[in-house]
Amino acid sequence: MRVARWLVAIAILLILPPLLPSFLVVVMTEIAIVALFATAFNLLMGFGGMVSFGHAAYFALGAYAAAILVKQAAWPMLLGLAAAPFAAAAGALFFGFFIVRLTHTYFAMLSLAFAQIVFTVVFKWKALTGGDDGLLNVWPPAWLKSPLAYCYFTLVVVGLAMLALHAIVDSPFGYALRAIRENPRRARFIGVNVRRHQLQAFVLSGFFSGLAGGLFAFFNGSVFPDFAYLNKSFEPLVVALLGGVQSFFGPLAGAVGFKILETYIARQWPIYWPLFLGAAVVFVVVALPQGFVGLLQRRAWRTRTAR
Amino acid sequence: MDFVTSLFPWITNGPLIVVQVMSGLSVAMFLFLVSVGMSLIFGVTRIVNLAHGSFYMVGAYLMVTLAEMLPDHPLAFWLALLVAPLGVGLLGGVIEVTLLRRIYHREPLLQLILTFGLILVIGTLVLLVWGPDNKSVARPEALAGSVKILGQPFPSYYLLVLALAPIVAVGLWVIFYRTRWGMLIRAATVDREMLGALGVDVATLYTQVFVFGSLLAGFGGALSAPTVAVALGMDGDVLTTAFVVVVIGGLGSFAGSFVSALLVGELQSFGILVFPAVSIVLLFAIMAVVLIVRPWGLLGHPEE
Amino acid sequence: MADPDGSLVLQVVGLRKHFGGVQAVNGVDLAVAEGELRAIIGPNGAGKTTLFNLISGDLAYDSGQIYFRGEEINGLPPPELCRRGLARTFQITSIFRRLSTLENVQTALLTHHRRHHNLFRPARRLYRDEAMVLLDRVGLVDQAPKPSGILPHGDQRRLELALALASEPQLLMLDEPTAGMAPRERHEIMALAAGIATDARLTIVFTEHDMDVVFAVARRITVLHQGAVLAEGTPLEVRGHPEVQRVYLGQRRGTAR
Repeated sequence: MRVARWLVAIAILLILPPLLPSFLVVVMTEIAIVALFATAFNLLMGFGGMVSFGHAAYFALGAYAAAILVKQAAWPMLLGLAAAPFAAAAGALFFGFFIVRLTHTYFAMLSLAFAQIVFTVVFKWKALTGGDDGLLNVWPPAWLKSPLAYCYFTLVVVGLAMLALHAIVDSPFGYALRAIRENPRRARFIGVNVRRHQLQAFVLSGFFSGLAGGLFAFFNGSVFPDFAYLNKSFEPLVVALLGGVQSFFGPLAGAVGFKILETYIARQWPIYWPLFLGAAVVFVVVALPQGFVGLLQRRAWRTRTAR
Repeated sequence: MDFVTSLFPWITNGPLIVVQVMSGLSVAMFLFLVSVGMSLIFGVTRIVNLAHGSFYMVGAYLMVTLAEMLPDHPLAFWLALLVAPLGVGLLGGVIEVTLLRRIYHREPLLQLILTFGLILVIGTLVLLVWGPDNKSVARPEALAGSVKILGQPFPSYYLLVLALAPIVAVGLWVIFYRTRWGMLIRAATVDREMLGALGVDVATLYTQVFVFGSLLAGFGGALSAPTVAVALGMDGDVLTTAFVVVVIGGLGSFAGSFVSALLVGELQSFGILVFPAVSIVLLFAIMAVVLIVRPWGLLGHPEE
Repeated sequence: MADPDGSLVLQVVGLRKHFGGVQAVNGVDLAVAEGELRAIIGPNGAGKTTLFNLISGDLAYDSGQIYFRGEEINGLPPPELCRRGLARTFQITSIFRRLSTLENVQTALLTHHRRHHNLFRPARRLYRDEAMVLLDRVGLVDQAPKPSGILPHGDQRRLELALALASEPQLLMLDEPTAGMAPRERHEIMALAAGIATDARLTIVFTEHDMDVVFAVARRITVLHQGAVLAEGTPLEVRGHPEVQRVYLGQRRGTAR
């Protein structure tokens, strides 16, 4: 039954893209990338109880690593993309070493501070990053250049990454991570080295955020310092929050909703988009802390128990 | 020495240094106004108000509107400077009562996220009301020019800012350390349990503190309006710097905000001369070091 | 200072800890032999919980030594102590509330077997049977699939006991295991702990307010008063100790029959 559902989902994803108008193929590609970024972020927030306000740093490290290697060092695209998550993981290891020493609000603030440093370095180091102008013409090779080809490519890469993340959440590592979220002190007394475990989760999260960044660089055809900016850091937060942080697929659902709304609202009334987004965040926090998926789950649970 | 002076020619220019110190002090004044409110709100309600930069921005925009609305009179500017912060205080009050009050008992993260949502909402509303173009506010006639300090020109409006700084600092000190209300705030910052024991109406105190903090930010924004281009990006710029100030000084620490605002103000003022490219990195690097070594800030208290 | 014949599981020598001006633990000496069931009692503020936190590595002490199975454990963090065979429970129930009862115990077992760094095996199936055995021992089999946070208080205390047992400890430290329970339930859980201790040949040190429980199960009792050991001995000796009668039992004649 479970397997059948999965096969149907995969089949739909494989058949759908050629049937869609090409701008929706592009939207679908972007949804996949945002979903990966938000799911990687949610490994920390939903499963580890750690909220980073600077995850754009790892997205940008991945994007810039891929772009720089391809543009400045003339690496082939696939190698550049493969390097992206490792560059981001290295950054996450370095920054995370300090960040996981703090908790709650201070954790969020130090992660933000490091992201601002990454942003400024990217912004100012013109020779390497192109500064404000970014790096342009970071396109994939000819065989991936059509929106449809890149959409399939992204779906496969993101699908594999999501599979890995799903396995991590359900693995012994993921159990211990949730135990830390629930009760760090108790976790220490059953033998978990809490900081080390948190750092490992941070690096894993950075790794997949970097992969999302790398995919986005070739999708966008260019990279800009905004990739490391505050707004980008809040994107996975908002997406995960809208979808629900308690469930693995919450961020995925959030990404679908977020991008579809963005595509229609932001295109029709670009001025009102941030207003809408802000109001949605305020509404979710005040009225729906479990996110929309959480709401649905609760409904489902209620109907099940009512029967 | 030759090497140093060739890199930083202004080092040998005494008067320029003095002017730079003074402009650093006025930057510090703006930073102090916005960060002390943010710090105060955190101390009492445990909410890091990310919308604090937005309050500052609204203060500046209200100044723009008041300057246009009020008749051309020498006192109009001062009246506007008084009314604009009150408007921001009112806005803060509305937000506290309708939204924040519902989430004090919830996880700190949700509170942060909510105030982040407010940044977007307020930013868009400002765009809708005032439009996308930069605005400016004329300085009052008496302070429109500049004075010579040791031969260097210095805008006289900044003298007003510098004169107000000690008044504001002393005024706040009196409020915090010499009134019952200030005593309650300090008590709340150290131990919130105590408030209930003292028989204080906590909900009202929270509202008052939030309004007062918003008012200070609004005053900072209004006062700064004649010195900058009043623009939409102000909220983010002010927030990031104020955030750094508050964290370095210690969340919830009045004296910490003061010292840290001075430090950061001067650092910005000189940083632009010394390391124009990396002054912001420097700021965040200092904040990162403070967070690593003393997460509760230079003058704050560690949380239990 | 190490114990000569090696039969002591826990030895504490001249332990001191102060908070500000308060000397919470003021030169405590303690020797617990293998297989003992030791109660540590004393009025509120006698330093029982602080002593527990010092021994279990939760707090750093000012001076003195702690030996666990003959080795000094000064400065070792809780995960390391857990690995060496020291487990504990807390006065305020400390479990993983949003994990199911079964997942709680599975997580503790996974960690104990040093498998918690494994990234790709589904944990659901690992140590499931072992976890069920432990849950059976504390009487929680029926609660296994429920989120542990919704269990009744007494069951949560039992779950915490199972969490501590999952690491197959040599020394189990229980900080007021019966706190917040009804009198009948208190005797049940202490009898359970005592039974497990005998079966597994493990040593238990516990603190307790309920004197009925203490005198029913403890084989030796240490009385703390103002951060120092006031008396130590069998329940009979302690009951007859004049100082103890004066400062402690005398005040609570109601419970100390």
